[in-house]
Amino acid sequence: MKVFRSHLLICGGTGCHASGSLNVKKALVAELSKRKLSEEIKIVETGCNGFCAMGPIMVVYPEGVIYMLITDEDIPELVEEHLIKGRILERLLYREPTTEEIIPTMQDIPFFALQELRVLRNRGLIDPEKIEEYIARDGYQGMVKALTEMTAADIVQEVLTSGLRGRGGAGFPTGLKWKFAAASPGDIKYVLCNADEGDPGAFMDRSVLESDPHTVLEGMVIAAKAIGSHHGYIYCRAEYPLAIHRLNIAIDQAKEMGLLGRNILGTGFDFDLEIYQGAGAFVCGEETALMTSIEGKRGMPRPRPPFPAIAGLWQKPSVLNNVETLANIGQIILRGGAWYASVGTEKSKGTKVFALTGDVNNVGLVEVPMGTTLGTIVYDIGGGIPKGKKFKAAQLGGPSGGMIPIQHLNATIDYEKVAELGAIMGSGGMIVMNEDSCAVDMARFFMDFCQDESCGKCTPCREGTKRMLQILTNITQGKGKEGDIELLEEMAPIIKDASLCGLGQTAPNPVLSTIRYFRKEYEDHIRNHRCDAAVCTALFKSPCQHTCPIEMDIPSYITLIRANRMENAYKMLLRTNPFPSVCGRVCDHKCQTKCRRGKMDEPIAIKFLKRFITDNAPRPKTEPVPVARREKIAVVGAGPAGLTAARDLALRGYKVTVFEELSEPGGMLRWAIPAYRLPRNILANEIADVTALGVEIKCNIRVGRELSFSKLNKNYDYVYLAPGAHKSQKMGVEGEDIPGVHGGVEFLRDFNAHEDAWVKGEKTLGSRVAVIGGGNSAIDAARVALRLGADVTILYRRERKDMPAAVEEIIAAEDEGIKLEYLVAPLKIEAKDGKVSGITCERMKLGEFDRSGRKKPVAIPGSAFTLSVDAVVASIGQAPDLTFVPKDSGVSVNKWDCFDLVKGSKSQTTDARFYAGGDAVTGPDTVIGAIAAGHQAARDMDAAIRLAAGEPAYEEPAEEKIDIPLIIDEEGEEAPQGKMPELHGPERKTSFVEVELGFSMEDAVKEAARCLRCDAEV
Amino acid sequence: MKAENDELIKEFSSEKIDQLDEIIAKFKGKPGGLIPVLEEAQVALEYLPVSIQKKIAKGLNLPLSRVYGVVTFYSFFTMTPRGRHTVRVCLGTACYVRGGKALAEIIEKNYGVKEGETTPDRKFTYESVRCLGACGLGPVIVVDNDVHGRVKPGKVKDILNAYN
Amino acid sequence: MAKITIEDLKKIKERVHAETALRDGHLRVKVTVHMGTCGIASGAKEVMDSLLREIEEAGVSDIAVTTSGCMGLCSREPLVTVEILNQDPIKYEYMNSNKMRQVFKRHILEGEIQNPFVLARGAETQK
Repeated sequence: MKVFRSHLLICGGTGCHASGSLNVKKALVAELSKRKLSEEIKIVETGCNGFCAMGPIMVVYPEGVIYMLITDEDIPELVEEHLIKGRILERLLYREPTTEEIIPTMQDIPFFALQELRVLRNRGLIDPEKIEEYIARDGYQGMVKALTEMTAADIVQEVLTSGLRGRGGAGFPTGLKWKFAAASPGDIKYVLCNADEGDPGAFMDRSVLESDPHTVLEGMVIAAKAIGSHHGYIYCRAEYPLAIHRLNIAIDQAKEMGLLGRNILGTGFDFDLEIYQGAGAFVCGEETALMTSIEGKRGMPRPRPPFPAIAGLWQKPSVLNNVETLANIGQIILRGGAWYASVGTEKSKGTKVFALTGDVNNVGLVEVPMGTTLGTIVYDIGGGIPKGKKFKAAQLGGPSGGMIPIQHLNATIDYEKVAELGAIMGSGGMIVMNEDSCAVDMARFFMDFCQDESCGKCTPCREGTKRMLQILTNITQGKGKEGDIELLEEMAPIIKDASLCGLGQTAPNPVLSTIRYFRKEYEDHIRNHRCDAAVCTALFKSPCQHTCPIEMDIPSYITLIRANRMENAYKMLLRTNPFPSVCGRVCDHKCQTKCRRGKMDEPIAIKFLKRFITDNAPRPKTEPVPVARREKIAVVGAGPAGLTAARDLALRGYKVTVFEELSEPGGMLRWAIPAYRLPRNILANEIADVTALGVEIKCNIRVGRELSFSKLNKNYDYVYLAPGAHKSQKMGVEGEDIPGVHGGVEFLRDFNAHEDAWVKGEKTLGSRVAVIGGGNSAIDAARVALRLGADVTILYRRERKDMPAAVEEIIAAEDEGIKLEYLVAPLKIEAKDGKVSGITCERMKLGEFDRSGRKKPVAIPGSAFTLSVDAVVASIGQAPDLTFVPKDSGVSVNKWDCFDLVKGSKSQTTDARFYAGGDAVTGPDTVIGAIAAGHQAARDMDAAIRLAAGEPAYEEPAEEKIDIPLIIDEEGEEAPQGKMPELHGPERKTSFVEVELGFSMEDAVKEAARCLRCDAEV
Repeated sequence: MKAENDELIKEFSSEKIDQLDEIIAKFKGKPGGLIPVLEEAQVALEYLPVSIQKKIAKGLNLPLSRVYGVVTFYSFFTMTPRGRHTVRVCLGTACYVRGGKALAEIIEKNYGVKEGETTPDRKFTYESVRCLGACGLGPVIVVDNDVHGRVKPGKVKDILNAYN
Repeated sequence: MAKITIEDLKKIKERVHAETALRDGHLRVKVTVHMGTCGIASGAKEVMDSLLREIEEAGVSDIAVTTSGCMGLCSREPLVTVEILNQDPIKYEYMNSNKMRQVFKRHILEGEIQNPFVLARGAETQK
């Protein structure tokens, strides 16, 4: 025995090889010998460790410390620190993606800790090229038991007891398959191992073959004994050279030791096997096609019956199991079927290996008990979705499977549940897709695959997949027609029913599954030529423009910055957006979430660039538009929706009067968003442009108070209702009515109306303030309270990543010293002398997923605590106040206190002369959403008026031609997004001066140059 | 036999033809030997034109239609000469989701080749593949046997320039 | 390699299992050889070598050997810490190959602390 004080296990799987593990190993050998440590420390190259995304990976024993993403340059330091000085080298350790916590040992990393390893029990622990290491971990003990203590029938019974079902996809009970083959008469029978893992996104078989090849051999010998076979084949893809290499070594070693071949271990049982290399055809994963292929023919499936158990390879009885199935057998025989069946669900026993890939932080192989929830796999083991994106769906079963969408994150994954949800278990490929994946495009992608791989034998599969692909391609290119969806639904069952093999029988699954869960996306593509994920490029010029609710021509104005044509850039902004300087500050910039640059490094700072234009170019002058039409239009509410509609209608020659309840126009922009984010003069300038057109704004008039609803109805031909959502929702806790408890928007409104009094201290919240909520208005209220001198704590019931507020706002709040407490919810407001004295809260923990894909907070019993505060600001949401609309008015209001729109219209209420939009229809939404609603209403009202008058549709006056230059850098260097300069120092926390200072010319041009110009056709 | 080798000698050296004879002899009479013969022949000769297929058919005593059928069925086999290096872009689902398509587009644009084609200087043959099982590293391109993982569009040129 | 029997298979299993036990995490004793620059200069490497030889000869598999950096007590190097499961760690000072062998046989295998070499008992207060 040779003792080493330390074993270094370097992952030598395909993934780690590709990321450089061989160089790391070389460097390590050199470094150890240089420091004369070769006799003390042993290097072992293992098979795939499973955490492929973090490779090259090395585990150092006895400590079990796992290092990731190692390069050969790290080695001298690593040896010096860890192996000589005994200090852990922190920079190469694992960081939990969400919490950034550093975790040194493998068993503590959730990715590994939550797995139950049976098939993968030896991964990363043994040297796959040394049979002794396999033997040391109970290797071949199951085979010995099967060959010496058990009859064929015993083996079959044990496998039946285990409940093991074929892991290749169909889930047929393995024991039953063996029973049939055992009962089938004949001297010559075959045991076949399917290692033709063609399902894109699945690589567990590769991993097993690379890290633990003997386990497959052992399973095959046991199967052979069970059915009475003496010859076997492993059909392995030629695309897996390392797997084939290690299998060959394993077979040679086993033969040399007499664990394969004649008279195995002196038991008198003979079994020999060879590897057969596939030549690249997906259909050969199907059992009869695989057999045809081994026979040296085109790998086409054969009709069943006869089943392979009766007439398989060369018409002899055969069993075919896949790698993962066989890898379970040795353990089942050694430890018993009952042991195996001790985990799992009623009909799906044992564990399943999933290849977790796609948009998930911890890409790799995951083995979990059957019945583990999808959410556990994706979030707890997989570490969630990178870059804070939202989970959309997981594709299970590859091109033969289906999607499991966000509302089913609590689904327990087993054969039955997965089938119920319209997917299949398949071989266990689990591809996570985020919100940037388009359901139609994915369906097209999978259909393209099936069409390509269809062997052509069955016409429905050959021609049907082609037709379906054509329809799907048309839809993704904006050439879809009404009826296409129904046609796809009609074709699918025909292809399924009339195809011989699994390929055709499952090919329509992805289409059916995406239609089932994402029918609206199909309809959006066909009817509106919209792809919300901004994937189907034929439907739009650039993803940013497509994603903007008002489709601002972003690439154009960014290029105009680069060309230093600022006046043109400003005009470009105003074409679609009456409030560009507002949006340059407070827009939620959805456009940036789809920016292609973000796939390379970080998205373009579109919002900052927009602001840069409005800060630095002279504002184009607005000329009044003469009233050319006789219809009088009233707008209720001078927020962004109302003002946008008024502006658009004025541009079309209408006389528009806007009624505003408060003393100044602007809505939430004026009355909720504080001046440090949106200076008053900036807003006032943009509103002045609206009045300059001829729009009249009447402030201090509330409909139903200063102006009756019936008068409004009578005096105006058409009315646009855009009163917003200015009423805070109640928390529903005891003590909510005590003085000192404020609603978020009510507090902000009062502050914005009486800023002087608040600043001078004539009005005050108190010195300790708790703000409840996680949205932008909660942060606004907190940052205002801080500026008024209070000590502020935000209480939020979920985690930081779940907060609806913009992340830059959260960071700003943190920077300013506001405390944020997560996972707490208010229980009761405490009072003393009739005033707020504290707030009692309880701690929450996260439970199951809700339909939005976030974990539901659940109270922890007995965790209540009281925070001593003088004031509570409850900012947990807002609702419209539509009490000014009489019940009998014909304009109906729904149960969420929002206006009802008539079916088929995006702006018309149940009274044809009344239109509505903005927050009063959608509930609290964004500025840009309100502007879009205003545009929509103006278009709809104008169209309705003209239609009623029998006039032709409105034609926009020709726009001034602005030539957009094409300046593209040939090779874009990676560069992060430009940072917004901010105000620092004491002034920031005590005044309402704008915090974000704006880009300099240099910043802006540099940022503009990062644009990839997706709009350009080269 | 003579005429057949004449046809071959135009494209292949006599050593290569001898090598092919050896391969055929090795698998002759073995059930299911056709695909292994084709696999080894392709490794030795780089591609399998009809002239080679004829010789294999004769050697294994199979109809040419059978050989041709198998060659055209499996994606591993090619009937046209290949470049010195094979560049394969993985378009398996995991790589596709992570931007494999953009890599394919860049290669097609920069090298003026379409899927399955070889650059005029016979430096690269460009193919797309369906999943190499290196999903953890997506998007992946493979040049010969070197897997390059987490490839960003801007890096494709650098990677390919490293090959002669 | 010749064909083996079922008996041989068991023997291979036991032998190799001992060699790879390090990766299982079932360890009874942890021995730390302090290998700062000063430790190595005063002979820590030789101490390490003799320890590994002893373990090899004794054929035990439940001992982990690790290193750590300088403890700040350079004058008393080489230093070795022996931690037996559920017992206080013991630090030995001025170690050499002979002393190491003695500590291994008497303390690590038989549980008898070698008082003459002991520097300190108990854990360090700071890591």
